[in-house]
This record gives sequence, structure tokens and C-alpha cells, in this order.
Amino acid sequence: MKKVDLEQEGIEIKKACCYFCHQNCGVLVYVKDGKIIHFEGDPDHPTNTGGLCCRGNVNLIHLDHPARVNYPLKRKGERGAGEWERISWDQALDEIAAKLAAIRDQFGSEAVATAGGTQRTDDWARRRFMNLFGSPNGFHNSHLCWIPTFMVETAIYGWCPFEIDLGLSRCIVLWGQNPGASTMPEMSAISLLKSQGLKVIVIDPRYTETAAKADLWLPLRPGSDLALALAWLHVIIYEGLCDYTFIEENCVGFDELTLHVEQYTPEWAAPLTWLTPDQIREGARMYAMNRPGNIQWGVAVDQLGKPAGSAMHARALLRAITGNLDCPGADLLTGPSPDFITDEEMELNEYLPEEQRAKQIGSDRYKLVTWPGYSRIAELTKKYWGKAPTAEWMCEAHPPSVFKAILSQEPYPVKALLVSATNPVNSYGESKQVLEALRTVDFLVTCDYWLTPTAMLSDYVLPIAGSFERPTITSTYGCSDFLLTSQRAIQPMYERRTDFEFWRDLGLKLGQGEHWPWETLEDAYLSRIEPLGYGVESYDEFVEYYRYHFPEREYYKYKEKGGFATPSGKIELYSSTLKELGYSPLPEYIPPVENEIDNPELAEEYPLVLTTGGGVMPFHHSEHFQIKELRFLRHEPYMEINPATAAKLSIEDGDWVWIETKRGRIKQKANLTEGIRPGVVYTQRGWWYPERDMRDPELGGCLESNTNVLTSVADEDCDPLSGTWANKGLLCRVYKAYDSDRKEDN
Amino acid sequence: MARYALVIDSRRCIGCHSCTVACRVHNDLPIDMIYNPVTTVGPTGVFPNVHMVHIPLLCMHCANPPCVDACPSAASQQRPDGIVWVDEKKCVGCKACVMACPYGARIPNHEKGTVQKCDFCKERIDEGLRPHCVETCHQKARIFGDLDDENSEVYKLVHGEHSIRLLKELGTDPYVFYIYGWEV
Amino acid sequence: MKHKEEGWGWMLAVDFFFAGMGGGMLLIAGIADFLLGEGNTSVLGNFLGAFCIAIGACFLILELGRPLQAWRVFMNPRAILTFGAWTMTIAIGAGLIYASFGLKMLPWSDWVILRKLMALGCIVTGLIVATYPGVLLGRHKSRPFWNGPGMIVLFLFSSLVTGGAAHILSAAILPAYYPGGLSGLPLMVALLLGFQLIFWVGYLWVKISGTTEREAKAARKWLKGNFSGKFIYGFLLIGTLLPLVLLLFPGTGVIALGAFLALLGGLLMRLLVVYSGEDRTWLPGEECYRARLPLGTEEFLKAWNTK
Repeated sequence: MKKVDLEQEGIEIKKACCYFCHQNCGVLVYVKDGKIIHFEGDPDHPTNTGGLCCRGNVNLIHLDHPARVNYPLKRKGERGAGEWERISWDQALDEIAAKLAAIRDQFGSEAVATAGGTQRTDDWARRRFMNLFGSPNGFHNSHLCWIPTFMVETAIYGWCPFEIDLGLSRCIVLWGQNPGASTMPEMSAISLLKSQGLKVIVIDPRYTETAAKADLWLPLRPGSDLALALAWLHVIIYEGLCDYTFIEENCVGFDELTLHVEQYTPEWAAPLTWLTPDQIREGARMYAMNRPGNIQWGVAVDQLGKPAGSAMHARALLRAITGNLDCPGADLLTGPSPDFITDEEMELNEYLPEEQRAKQIGSDRYKLVTWPGYSRIAELTKKYWGKAPTAEWMCEAHPPSVFKAILSQEPYPVKALLVSATNPVNSYGESKQVLEALRTVDFLVTCDYWLTPTAMLSDYVLPIAGSFERPTITSTYGCSDFLLTSQRAIQPMYERRTDFEFWRDLGLKLGQGEHWPWETLEDAYLSRIEPLGYGVESYDEFVEYYRYHFPEREYYKYKEKGGFATPSGKIELYSSTLKELGYSPLPEYIPPVENEIDNPELAEEYPLVLTTGGGVMPFHHSEHFQIKELRFLRHEPYMEINPATAAKLSIEDGDWVWIETKRGRIKQKANLTEGIRPGVVYTQRGWWYPERDMRDPELGGCLESNTNVLTSVADEDCDPLSGTWANKGLLCRVYKAYDSDRKEDN
Repeated sequence: MARYALVIDSRRCIGCHSCTVACRVHNDLPIDMIYNPVTTVGPTGVFPNVHMVHIPLLCMHCANPPCVDACPSAASQQRPDGIVWVDEKKCVGCKACVMACPYGARIPNHEKGTVQKCDFCKERIDEGLRPHCVETCHQKARIFGDLDDENSEVYKLVHGEHSIRLLKELGTDPYVFYIYGWEV
Repeated sequence: MKHKEEGWGWMLAVDFFFAGMGGGMLLIAGIADFLLGEGNTSVLGNFLGAFCIAIGACFLILELGRPLQAWRVFMNPRAILTFGAWTMTIAIGAGLIYASFGLKMLPWSDWVILRKLMALGCIVTGLIVATYPGVLLGRHKSRPFWNGPGMIVLFLFSSLVTGGAAHILSAAILPAYYPGGLSGLPLMVALLLGFQLIFWVGYLWVKISGTTEREAKAARKWLKGNFSGKFIYGFLLIGTLLPLVLLLFPGTGVIALGAFLALLGGLLMRLLVVYSGEDRTWLPGEECYRARLPLGTEEFLKAWNTK
């Protein structure tokens, strides 16, 4: 056993956090002479109370992994040839700034786009840079992750009730969420509360880690969430299970809704969802009759594609008609923090001129999470809460449209892409198109820990400081009324820098000097928490002495504030904001993007229903495939298929199989399981093989098992409200892969 | 004298493998050595009527450990508090214990030529800390403690809940107890 | 790397083979001395008995992860391996001293009492060395194929067969002083082979209809699984039945061939038995878990090795 003397002289214990997902679990890091000698989960941290997941445990391996990028790299040979020249940060920033300035002069600042990943960056800094630079074309794959939900719910109730008051709840609906593989602290709380009587409903096509612990598991047809939500509305309204007092006092549009959902009976939904009418009723009743209750957000609904917006809408109405809003035990409308400086306030959105806002790619079609919808919602929330949601995330260019613009020059040329903390080939939809765009774009810069397939195609790769090397403020995309803080354990190793420094330094080179007053990230953070009035001298002092700020929980804020942040001041079951943007004010039924009812010919060719995107411990999106300690546990991708379906296809457990949609095919190994319905297939996400040849065209086999080869970003498959694309409810076929055809060309 | 035991609450375990990774990282084990795998049983049954349970395995720190009896060099030992451990200096790598252990808890280390195993992180126990696998379990599915102490959580769980022990019929008297939501 | 828990390998099987054969040879030599007097077994065979045990011990040492620490195996009086190690050591000593009486130039060659004592030592230690692997394996509660007293008989018989066969071969090379004394040995070995055949059939039968499903499963592997070819054709036919027949024919060449095949059969049996111990009583979900771990040759395991 590795024995570390933690009592020795000169050890400092730093209150850092794990940076491998945005839970940001608290970690105590023992540092001596600038070197980390030990770390452990922080038992006093409210998120993880000492626990750490697989990823958390490999922090030190990640920190100094031989494959990490440690110095700024400039491409030497052909793009993708993997020949690099090590240069200084100063040179890199000078050259990148010069190139961006040249593109701005020639094509306009909107020709520079930025792509992001999960919320593990200080993307208010990116937004600040982009606003000052004058481009509206920043984006993330946030469309697949909560952001559309946030905006639909804010349109209806004036904020997103993401803070669940679980301790007093009697029922939780986990709708397309699997905390058992993704958010460990939440799962722990659910298990504890379930043992004390909490009802747990899991809506998921798969018998997940979480479904295995549920009181009720509803294995719906992938992509049919909207039909289920509409039928639940029907059951709750037509069985008289509503909270009529709450509706009477706080909602408008109940009559319209009642009429609207009359048609959506459980019998109507049964053939669409592949559930029985009784299953549908049982779920609706369990949620409506065990009050207070919660509907926990899950990414599944964000990833439905075309029916997504309507499904979020219908789901949001369930809370309203059952009164499960802002009361003890329900989903709370906390609003943004009035006390600390929010992300939005750091973004300088006012600096982006109106004419540039109008150029945001995708904002003509998908209005809710682009400038048209965002401006309207920000106006309402500012009036009511005094603050707006974070624009980075909530107001972004439509990612598939940006990749298409790179390829087609429509609506205008996009010449530069700055990529930070994402590997778009694996994480954005329709990977073949994304890869083509990355190969095509004139100027590509990647900020990353690793030489990902995307980094390999870049002109510059910049080394980014990761877990333990950076301070962190955790505040739910800048939208929570609380915050948790963590400090750096050590200064970044080698020549790594934080992404904040990258955007700031690039801004300085481009003449944004006056807008970047903070020299360090800690300085910036300090300015954000100063209004809290703790009287600290430094950010680190706040972390050491306070660590987090949780305002006293207030229920029924709407009573005191006189309503909700909507045009009518009420919860708008019939949404005037959505109507104003040109969308249906009530959730209309839209079938799954590909289905056997509307397109029987396609279903004949692709007879199985596909769901993609579910998370798999120990990976996170497309990360950690280099970490042997993790990879050893799951070294190959496994898709799930029911044994009955597999038998028909002569597929045995452990066989390599092809999974193919209209857009392409990938191979994974077959896991035969009774935990998935016959006729349904699930593929693991994120897979690439960093151990292979990373040069173009092999690029670490980044298309071979990559589930996003299968997903659809066609305009007609995207949600008209948000533009989110289709990861679930697609049609596919599966067949055995033989040795001779195991390899797919990139 | 304490008698250490581990209770695994399968109702809470989600099969995330954190314990496996924490153990390997902190004990600095070669990549292919796993002291504490987590297996998954199921989904059993037929869709949609299925069950699934995760079973973390590790050394059972038996009261009657066949591995200690099998060890010709007396490297395998049991402390009075029940912890079974290997004195690496004495181990010759004969693998008699590997074969004798019914739980697969003994793993040859090819780099060292010895056999190693979970020792409940005894250095930590001696300092009053808990084993790494227990410390890292964010689901609180692993409960470690002194079974001789009537006030300990393990005592209460072992005596208050329906717990089972693996391969108890072999007479090994294992000190890892499993609480299942149902029988597997 | 398929199963993370790697157990005993072929070297231990070879140890069991040589030690068992040596033990059988000592036993036969000792008994012959008591019943028929000196010089009925080949001096070569007498020496080989001790040597075989020594060769077995060498393989045992090589099987260890740390061969240079081999002396430590004598340290735990409770462990059956320790008991075996001591017995083998004594057996080698007793066997060598006994065999030395066959070299008439040595001064002690007519110390009858010492010779008889050594012959007794050979009988006792030879019997133990021939039998103890069966006890060792049979005590493994979680190795369903080994578990139970049956292994003792199988090992004892195989040791006697291979010991007898080795004496036959030794005598073919260097005849004993009184070559007629043990003329019945081929018949005895043939008889033992017959018993061995019956015991193996019985053993598998009992295991297959055995107390637990895992015992039955482990035994079925010998008849229908990946062991069946080697077992049925290699051990039962070529290693047991064929030598049984050959040993009944007159003619030194045919008998020697039979003896040689019996030795091969013994070796094959040790290998199969030792490898059958890989099948532990699997815990719930364990087989699937281990089956999906890397085999050890995967690219990612070799990548990023900086050391």
C-alpha cells in the first residue's frame, strides 16, 4: 500500500473540487511544495459528503497523464498529419488574434464561431470575448442538455424550477434521467428517501441502474415521451386529480388546456408509447396523488428532436396543474441570485449590437434559445427577478446549422471555429457532417486536455488547466440562487492555462483590454462574490472559511412577488410568450422523428427503434477513454438488445454488430439483456479509441463506434422551438459484424 | 477487541465501480489486479418484469479463512480483529491461497511474484480511518465497522436486517454481509 | 489475463506427475524389499524414484512467484503444502540412501537394518507423496471438480501406475539383480490401470449426479466440454486402456511401450486435473464480469506507457 504521511510538516490542505462533471464534488487535496501528495473526497462537502465516483478517483492520473497536452502546439505539416511545433503562449495568441482579425475584416466578425462542451469551463468569459469581438455564433451542445427545458419552462412559469426540494417530497418522477450512472449524489439522496417512503417513478426505455430501484418503471418507446406527457395531462385533468385551488389562484389557460388534452387519452397514447393504458394511468396517478412531488429534469426529453419542445411544454404543465411548484417538497422557483454577480452579468451581452444579434445562425428558424426568444424572456425575467438567464447556453447559434454553414457558406461563410472543452466529432449530431466541417473550416483552434480527433485537425492546440488546477464556482449554469466554490490545489502544471485566461488573453490581443480588469480567475471570482457581503479579502479566503453560499430557502415566492415572470404575471398554461414567438401556445402532439406509424416504408428497412445518448460510468461523454484504470472496466462499447430480437438476427452475446440508420452505421458489441424491450436498441455514447493512430483519416477510430453517426440533425428532425436535434426515437437496423467488415472508413 | 466487518447494502449499490477504482488507485495496484470487483446480476426475468442487483465482491475476512490454513510460508495471517492479510516479505507466490479462497479474493501480482489481497486498508483502520472503498462510496452502500460493538452501524444492520453471506455453506464464516432487497 | 485470478499452472501438474511417480517407485521398491528382499528392483529405478521426487520439487519451486524464497514453504505446520514439502524432502533422502544400497562398493551396503529402515521410510513417505496431492486438491471446498475424497484414490492409483511403469522401464534399461522377482509387475500395473479406469468412470458419474449443480457442471466438461477430447482419447484410451492391453502381452518392447503410454496418461491426467481447478464456484454475476474484462493484449493497455 502506498503510504503517505499526512501529518508531515508543510502540508496544505486545499479545498478543491473534482472537475470531471458539473457536480463538482468537493475534494480535499494535500499539497506540499506545490505538489499533490494525496487527495480524498471532502466529507464536509454538501454535494458528495466524502464520496467520489470512478472518475473522481483518477484525478491524479488525469492530472499528469502522458497523453495530456502540456504546451501550445502549432500545426507543422498537413492538417491532421499529427506534426506539431511547440510554441509559446504569446506566439500562439498573437497568431490566432491576427488570424481572427483578418477574418473579421474580410468576412465580418460573425464568420468566427466557437464551440463548447459541458459546463466545465468559465464560458461567461467566452461569451464576453465573443460579445466584444462582435460574433453571435457561440454554441454548445447544450441543446441536448437542459437548455431548451430551461427556456420552455421559463416561458411558462417565469423561471425553471430546477431546484427540487426532495427532502419533503413524496414522489419523484425521473423522466429520462439515470442518476445511477450520471449524478451519484442525487442517486444517493433518492435511495435514502425511498427507504423512507418516497415514491420513485422512472421513465426510461432501459432498465437502468435507477430503474432497478424504482417503484414504477415505465419502459416507453424511445422518443414517445410527448405522447406520455399528454396522456398524463389527460388523466390528471379528467380524473379530477388537479390542484384546483392552485390553478384558480395562479394559472391562466386551464380551460383551453382541458379542451386541448381531451383527445389525448391513455388509450390514444398506448400504441404510441408501447405502454398499456393502465401503466400510463398508474404513473399519472402516482405523481398526482403523492403530493408534493417532483419531476426531475433529464436530458432525454431535450434530445427528442422535433417533438422535444412540445414534450417539455407538456411536462412543464404537469407541475402546474398539480400545484407542484414552489411549495415545500416540490420543484422550486428560486430565481437567479439577487446577491452575487451571475454569469449573465459577466457576459457583457449589451455589447453585441442588434444587427449582429440578427445574424445569429439558426435564429430565423429556432427562436427560443436564440436572440429572438432569449431577448423576450430576458426582458420578462429582468423585470421580475432583476436578472436574466445566462446568455451563454440559453442564447446560442444552432450548432448543426453552423457546421452546415461551414460546408455550404449559407447563410454566410463561417471561417474560423474556436473549440473549447469539446470534441465535436463525437458529441454533436451527425458526426460525418461535423467531421467534414472540421476538415473544411479555414481556421480551427482547440483548447483541450488531450489531442482529441478534433484537436488533431486543428491549426493550434492549447493546453488547458484541468481538475485541481483551477478554481471553480458551481452555480448550475449561473442560474441558481446558491453557489459552491472551490479553490485550485496547485498552479497549472507545465504551460497549461485556464480557458478564462485563453479568452482574456486573446481579448487583450484584440484590443479588449479595458473589459478584462481581472488578472486571475480568482480576482474575477472575488468580484462576483463580493456583493454577498462576507467581507473576505480574497476568493481563496471565501473557499477556506465559507466554501458555499446557500440563501435561506423561501417557498411561495410568487405570493410575495405578486405572481410570475410571464406577460400575464400568472403561470401560462396557454403560453403567450410561445405564441408571440410563433409557436403553439399549447403542446401539440408531434410524433417521434422516425416512426413506424408515419413512415412504414422506412420502418420496413430499419425495423428497430434506437435510443442513444445514455451515460455509462466511468466515462463522461467522450472523455476518459485514455485512462486505463477506467477503461479496463469497460474497454469496449456495448449496445443493448433484447435476447428475443437478437435471436431473430442470429446475434449472440458479445458479438460485434453493426447498428445502422439512414445516416450511417457504427459497430459496438451486443449485450443481450431483458432490460430492454424487444425491438428496441440502445447504443453507448462517446466512443473513440485514443490508443489508435490519431492522424487523419484514422483519427482514433472516431466514427467507428460513435453513436452520433446515427443521430439526425436534419432541419425537419429538429425541434422548431429550440432546434435541438434527434438522439432518440430513431429507426435503425442491426446485423452481425464479421471480421472482414469490422472497420469503417472515416 | 474489535471484530471488523463490512456490510454491503445492495439496495443502495448502483454498480458504479467507484470502490474498484478507489482501491486500485490508492493501493497503487497494477492495472489487471482488482481486489473488489462489482458484478451485476441481471436483469433477470423477462422484460418488463425484471430485477437487477449489483454485488460488490472482496475478501470476506472469514473467521475460518481457508487461505491462511493453505499458506505454507505463513505469510497469510489473520489479526485478532479479523483482518486477513499477507506479509509480502514471507510470501513465496505458491498460489495455494489463490486456489483455496472460495471468493476469488486472492490475486497474484506478476510484477512482484507474490499474492496480494484486500486487507481492509489496515493501515487506515489502525489510524481510525475507514477503508478507501468505503470512504469513496457516495451511495453509502458499504458500511464498515466493529461487529463486536453493539452500538455500531454494522452490528445494527447485521442483526436488524435480513442479511446473507456468500457461500456460507462452505464453513468459512465470512465477515462481509449483504443486504438484498430480495433473494438472488 | 482472462480471469484475473490466475491459479496453478502446468508446472504444478508436472510436479504432481514426477513426485507421484517417484513416490510410487519408492513405495514399490520398499514393499519389494520387505516382501522379496534386496535386489528385486532395478538400482536405476530406485535412484530414479528419489530423483523424480526431486525433479517434481524443482518444478514446484519454478511454479512459485518467488523461487528464491522457496525455503519458506517449510514454515507453516498447519498447511498441507508444508507437510508435503517436508515429506518430499524426507522421501528424497530415504530414497537416495535406500538406492545407495544397490551400489555394492559403498561401505554400508550390508547394513541390513539400516536398509530395512530406509525401505520402511520409502514405503511411508512414498505413500504420502503419492497420495497427498489428492488430499491437497480434495480439500478445496470451492473447486467443485476437486472437492471430496475421491481425488485421493485417483492420485494414489495414478502414482502406483506411473511408479510401476517407471520401474518396468528402468528394469528394461538396467535389470535388477534378481530379474525374476518382479516379473508380475506388468500384470500388476495392468490391473491398476483397470482399477484406474473404473475409478475415473465412477468419479465422473458421482460428480455428474453430484450434490451441487456446480459439481455436475464441472464434471460435464470432461465428457462434453473442452476437456473431453484430451480426457477420453488421450487419457482413457491411449493413456489407460491401450497400455492396459499392451502390458498383458509378453515381450519387453511391447511392455515397455505400454509402460511409456501409462506414464503419458499419468502426465495428461495431472494436467487436466490441475487445470480443472480453474473452475471455481463462481459468485453471482462473476463469470459475466470477468468475461468482459480485457484479455491483456488490447491496444489501450500498451498505449501511453512512459516507463
